[in-house]
Amino acid sequence: MALILSVLEQGMIYGILALGVYITYKILDFPDLTVDGSFPFGAAVTVRLISLGVPAVLTLPIAFLGGALVGMCTGLIHVKLKVRDLLSGIVMMTGLYTINLWMAGSGYVPIFNKSTIFDNSTVNALFTGALSRFKTVIIIFVITMAAKYLLDWYMSTKSGFLLRAVGDNDTIVTSLGVDKGLVKIVGLSIANGLVALSGCIYAQQQRSFEISIGTGAVVIGLASVIIGTSLFKKVTFLRVTASVIIGSVLYKACVALAMFAGIDANAIKLITAVLFLLILVISMDRKKVK
Amino acid sequence: MKKKILEAVMTVTMAAAILTGCGNAAGGNGAGSYTIGISQFAVHGSLDNCREGFLAGLAEEGIVEGENLKVEYVNAQAEPGTAAMTADNFVSKKVDMICAIATPSATTAYNSTLNSDIPVIYTAVSDPVGAGLANADGSSVGNITGTCDALAVDAQLQMIREILPDAKTIGIIYTTSEANSISTVAQYEEAAGNYGFEIVTTGVTAMSEVSLAAADMVKKVDCITNLTDNTVVSALQTVLEEANKAGIPVFGSEVEQVKAGCVASMGLEYFELGKQTGKMAAMVLKGEAKASDLKFETISEPSLYVNFAAAEKNGLTLPERYATDAYQSFDEIVVE
Repeated sequence: MALILSVLEQGMIYGILALGVYITYKILDFPDLTVDGSFPFGAAVTVRLISLGVPAVLTLPIAFLGGALVGMCTGLIHVKLKVRDLLSGIVMMTGLYTINLWMAGSGYVPIFNKSTIFDNSTVNALFTGALSRFKTVIIIFVITMAAKYLLDWYMSTKSGFLLRAVGDNDTIVTSLGVDKGLVKIVGLSIANGLVALSGCIYAQQQRSFEISIGTGAVVIGLASVIIGTSLFKKVTFLRVTASVIIGSVLYKACVALAMFAGIDANAIKLITAVLFLLILVISMDRKKVK
Repeated sequence: MKKKILEAVMTVTMAAAILTGCGNAAGGNGAGSYTIGISQFAVHGSLDNCREGFLAGLAEEGIVEGENLKVEYVNAQAEPGTAAMTADNFVSKKVDMICAIATPSATTAYNSTLNSDIPVIYTAVSDPVGAGLANADGSSVGNITGTCDALAVDAQLQMIREILPDAKTIGIIYTTSEANSISTVAQYEEAAGNYGFEIVTTGVTAMSEVSLAAADMVKKVDCITNLTDNTVVSALQTVLEEANKAGIPVFGSEVEQVKAGCVASMGLEYFELGKQTGKMAAMVLKGEAKASDLKFETISEPSLYVNFAAAEKNGLTLPERYATDAYQSFDEIVVE
């Protein structure tokens, strides 16, 4: 049971990250490596704020804004300094490493005895008895859904339409008299804001910050997006945002399954890879390939 | 059709795995039989030695794997997320104890067991206080205790002084993100003056930077000493190569490094550390003590390791007593 909860918790936390990756990778067609830096950035900001005694609830919007700022920098480097997309992400990711260390204070910061969004007087009063073991997963679910519906709503606004248009056909955007560079910057800001929000929740769930949590974050995000979108592309009642979050939960389920299989302690990654391949093969449209 | 079959197979396996996982949650402990979940953070020679030592320590106390002990071993392959999931997995299986090897595994195990009564025994944690696992006086913060692999800085400096009577500077390369390295560097800087040394440090952030750092370092120092820094130790051969080119010796921090070509080390024997941990675990399992009442332990006496081949390569004559004093000595450089 704890493992299923763990899969759901981690899956949904990384689901928010995957939403960010979905914006850059699928909508903007921008391979954004900033994610490896903005995920721990959100976590670093969070542990710093919590250590300073800031109420845990406030860390969520602050981490989002911090991440948005980071995304904006990536956007500015790409659009204004005309650095190639992949490289602007690499520049930011590299620089953020040091900034994250400064922000957090060291490579590892525990917040075991501090109050977090999962562990404070209000929450503990609300979830008592049998419910208390589900409090983390419920809170994560609420935040993830809030992030999903806000993003859905944003996508239906004028600014959201422009965002989608930039990825599909940017001449349309230009012909509408809108600066496509600006739209890209906005997209990257929202994407990295979501990623940092995900890092913020992760740090509080794990009650610690660790500098290496960002390594490979973008890969997890991409895998989630691809699993989600390819597995559910024919399921019409699910919005893409929901598919992406489910994709992330499936990703973590694969890791958990690999762990359960328990063939060899060192085989986790190989088994995970095989499970991905299975999912991708199952969801592939055979006729098209032939 | 094929697709349907695959889909079905997949669903069934997933469901089966999840269900059996829960079904077995009883954790099978009849009278006098135990289940321990070992969560090891990375694939790493020292950590592997720790794990083997841990099992050996338990065996000495009569808790033998395969007889009255069931061991579930998961290696997180250096991914914090996987380490967290490993710990949750053990909690859901209701193991009798989690053994966490290395800091990230220890902190995730502590986090996962906060709402259960499963004790956690950690090992190879350099700074339990800094990691939030122990109070400043060494007492435990919860149902968790273990052993610490802090380096014997003074013993190491004394040994370097013996081997190199004229040396003035010691170089240390460390990873800026590893909290244990930062605290050890501070200890070296504090103690170096007592032995007439000056410490020169270079921080790196990734393995790829080690060769640059080493090439620069060897020009500035009389010798290099290693920490238990995971990144730098993984790139040990790069450091040794640069040092050999410049003709300066490298001192290690534990046996594996000496085996691989460091001249000598007053270091930890991770197998012994694991064994000590195993004995603590046995006390907790048998109900003789509670993890929350045990202070974390360190290895009291560092052991001397010498590599005569590496010394010869650097043109060093080691004190004669080293041949007999060494806990373990090597006559060749073994690069694995």
